[in-house]
Amino acid sequence: MFFNPTMKHKALRKAVRMFAETEIGPVARTIDREASFPWEVIKKMGPLDFFGLQTPKTFGGAEMDSISYAIVIEEISRVSAAIGLCLAVHNSLSIHPIVRWGTEEQKRQFLPDMVRGEKIGAFCMTEAGIGSDVGGVETNATLDGNDYILNGTKIFVTNGGVCGTAIVFATTDYQNPRQGAAMFIVDRETPGFIVGEKEDLCGMRANPVSSIFLENCRVPSRNMLGAPGEGVTVGMETLNVGRISIAAQALGIAQAAFEDSLSYSKDRQQFHRYLSSFQTIRNYLADMATDIDAGRLLLYRACAAQDSRNSFREEAAMAKLFCSEMARRVTDKAVQIHGGYGYSKEYGVERYFRDAKVTEIYEGTSEVQRMIISRELLARRV
Amino acid sequence: MLKLVVCIKQVPQVSELPWDPETWHLQRELAEGMMNPACRFALEAALKIRDKIGARITAVTMGPPSAEEALREAVALGADKGILLTDRKMAGADTYTTSLTLSKVIQKIIPDFDLILCGASTIDSDTAQVGPQLAEELDIPGVAYVHELTIAGNKARIRRVADGFSETIEMELPGLVTINTTSEAPRYMSFRGFQQAFGESDIITHDAASLGLHQEWIGARGSATKIRNVYSPIAERGNLVLTGTNKKILDQLFTLFDDRIGGVVGKDLKTEKN
Repeated sequence: MFFNPTMKHKALRKAVRMFAETEIGPVARTIDREASFPWEVIKKMGPLDFFGLQTPKTFGGAEMDSISYAIVIEEISRVSAAIGLCLAVHNSLSIHPIVRWGTEEQKRQFLPDMVRGEKIGAFCMTEAGIGSDVGGVETNATLDGNDYILNGTKIFVTNGGVCGTAIVFATTDYQNPRQGAAMFIVDRETPGFIVGEKEDLCGMRANPVSSIFLENCRVPSRNMLGAPGEGVTVGMETLNVGRISIAAQALGIAQAAFEDSLSYSKDRQQFHRYLSSFQTIRNYLADMATDIDAGRLLLYRACAAQDSRNSFREEAAMAKLFCSEMARRVTDKAVQIHGGYGYSKEYGVERYFRDAKVTEIYEGTSEVQRMIISRELLARRV
Repeated sequence: MLKLVVCIKQVPQVSELPWDPETWHLQRELAEGMMNPACRFALEAALKIRDKIGARITAVTMGPPSAEEALREAVALGADKGILLTDRKMAGADTYTTSLTLSKVIQKIIPDFDLILCGASTIDSDTAQVGPQLAEELDIPGVAYVHELTIAGNKARIRRVADGFSETIEMELPGLVTINTTSEAPRYMSFRGFQQAFGESDIITHDAASLGLHQEWIGARGSATKIRNVYSPIAERGNLVLTGTNKKILDQLFTLFDDRIGGVVGKDLKTEKN
């Protein structure tokens, strides 16, 4: 067992932090308040390989290990969770399934533009009637010659408003949706692929989370990822990988909330004493730091498991469950330490508090994570 | 092809560090290191030259083994090679022995260099001496506080900004420049560059023996500078309370400060008043 970060991981964190603080920091509050996507920052991130973090070098990616990937998402999310989310969904939920299940032709066709950040990825699974219950998918894919015709409505699509390439979950069998479930790679320019209004959300406001309407959207059958019937497996395995990035995102938010609280407590005086001299506040800070450290260890363990073997479902679910709930606890305490100012948009912790909540909901709710973990536990022989 | 050498230094990431009460050196090991900001600008200036006319860039640093990180960062940003000078015997070097040591490694490994680029100063000791002294050691022309730099043939055209004026200089190569942090902002490393620099790239390490440096010439033993004591300046500001009528206060103010106020506004206040 080896707990010290390597020189490489330390250097990576410094480099990403410098970029995030210099380039994203100055706009982070504004893009949240105005719910605007910062294209000018995103354009700078493309050439630095932020959109091909783990993609193989042969397709122009950086081919990073999983801990490095988590560090990048964590450090970006520490400054802007909404941009961290954009990267997490692009890299884990859009590029990853193409790399893992795509044909050579699909990889050559879709990956280069995505890796350069010219086409941002989106993952279209959720519908009005299905969230966690993916087997009930209603979006329909009907075979017509060499094409599938997609019809349905996807909601809460992260990156929806700005995506260039979408992974769409649909069923080829309306009677038995689970058996016919399939994933399709769909280019935004495809006729019948319609981006709806941006959702008005509590947090992650700089990410244009939108609905996607599929109206007789004709997609070549060669764009199917895996075989018909493999859609649920592809979706579940993709979300399994995605959990690492959401845990990293939650960790980054918590870290930011902690750092702000620590410096505020050394700055703010009440009763002619600094907040940091009150035992209650010290206890809060100690609990926050311990909570964050525990989350970080769980996350890096899940990453190490992903890098060294195929099965890391339990570790990833534990990391996602713990880090997201930890981020909610830590941001809550951060607001409390800041008092009335913490409830004001003038201070960062108000944003962290709103951003943290959704990490307990998307890419598998905390309840679903517990379901996954307990299923793994009970399946063991000993 | 043009041969460029960039001298970089790893400095502590934090702004305040305690001093060792025995040696009066900063306890650098207490903080994470980073590449000195001006050195990033020097590397950027070298990369700009390479992008325009092609060049081979060697990054050199002297420091503890952990300074390898700053070299790999330089390689990630685009340097072709990194050379690390590390030896306990080199520790505690003042600016004179630092320049001497750097000159020896450059003469040994890249004797046919065209241009050496250094950061104008470091954020930890801020002497701004190593670059100019290195030019003296190598007996080549040197220009400090460079703001803009272009290479044409065997000449460098330089604009330097210092002490409130700017001048344009033409310098014969080989030569040395120190780069200001006012020049164009350095680039960020790409993750592909990072992966290559922190994976496959080799850093070449030298110690005093491999450079043929006698320990009397280097490190604390070779340094002419002996630090007796280091302390933070104590801010001593007294409050002066003037009382009386407005006119009386004004008169007192003029009596106490008229030279200084007059100097700022550019008038002889005594004459004005009368």
